Amino acid sequence: MKSKDFFGLMINPFTRIAGWQAFGLGLVVLVVSAIIGGFGNVIFDGVIDMHLVKEVTMLHSFGYLTISTLTLVIIMWITGLIISKNFRFIDILGTMTLSKAPFLILGFAGFFTKMPDMNEVMKNPMIVLSSTSFIVLMILTMPILVWSIVLMYNALKISCGVKGTRLTFAFIIAIFASEVISKILIYYIF
Amino acid sequence: MLPTYCPSCQAQLKVKCLKCESCQTEVNGSYDLPVLALLPENDQQFILRFVKNSGSLKEMASELKLSYPTVRNMLNEIIEKIKTDEK
Repeated sequence: MKSKDFFGLMINPFTRIAGWQAFGLGLVVLVVSAIIGGFGNVIFDGVIDMHLVKEVTMLHSFGYLTISTLTLVIIMWITGLIISKNFRFIDILGTMTLSKAPFLILGFAGFFTKMPDMNEVMKNPMIVLSSTSFIVLMILTMPILVWSIVLMYNALKISCGVKGTRLTFAFIIAIFASEVISKILIYYIF
Repeated sequence: MLPTYCPSCQAQLKVKCLKCESCQTEVNGSYDLPVLALLPENDQQFILRFVKNSGSLKEMASELKLSYPTVRNMLNEIIEKIKTDEK
């Protein structure tokens, strides 16, 4: 496979895979992410969010990821209903579930990152700069979040068959709404 | 591939003459090209495949090794082109 094709597939695998296939694959990756996050003390407490914590139970790890993924799917499905008249729910479910796959890498990162003492950080925020692994995680987080957002954008584009400004505006509003709603749901449920 | 647009000014071409290979009769006039002939070659190939697959997008997707919504979007784009050409 040419490197250009590989890059294209990495940012938009949905031209090749969607529907139940994408959902199955996405679900496997999410379950693995939740397990690894649970052991590595990483929580995915938002649609485009992750945090390192001192300790996390498997219930919380799975719960956060389930709520954030379901919120993303439902908000994107509602967005699809508004901007498109011809799409299948299973494509939204599958492609959106798979678009959270990059979070698996962040789950692994928890094993190699030392969480700075938050009491110390509150006193002196510059102390985070003394933890190399924490800085590496922060640098790693940004491209992975961008990758995931690009995947979500392409998931909506392919699933709903919409292009241009209408898609971009709808996506920005939808991603912002799903992040806020997932945060609120996580706050109230856990 | 049948030329459908003027190479000089890009205007849509018309059929001026049709010839019978059997008796050499020529029919002259100014006829519109069929809507399907106005589509690019790859779109015409897509329509042929679509008909051969009995209109099943799922079978098309599997044959082209593409996802179902991708194939459906390709079909939707062709529908839009046909609607534009018909205007």
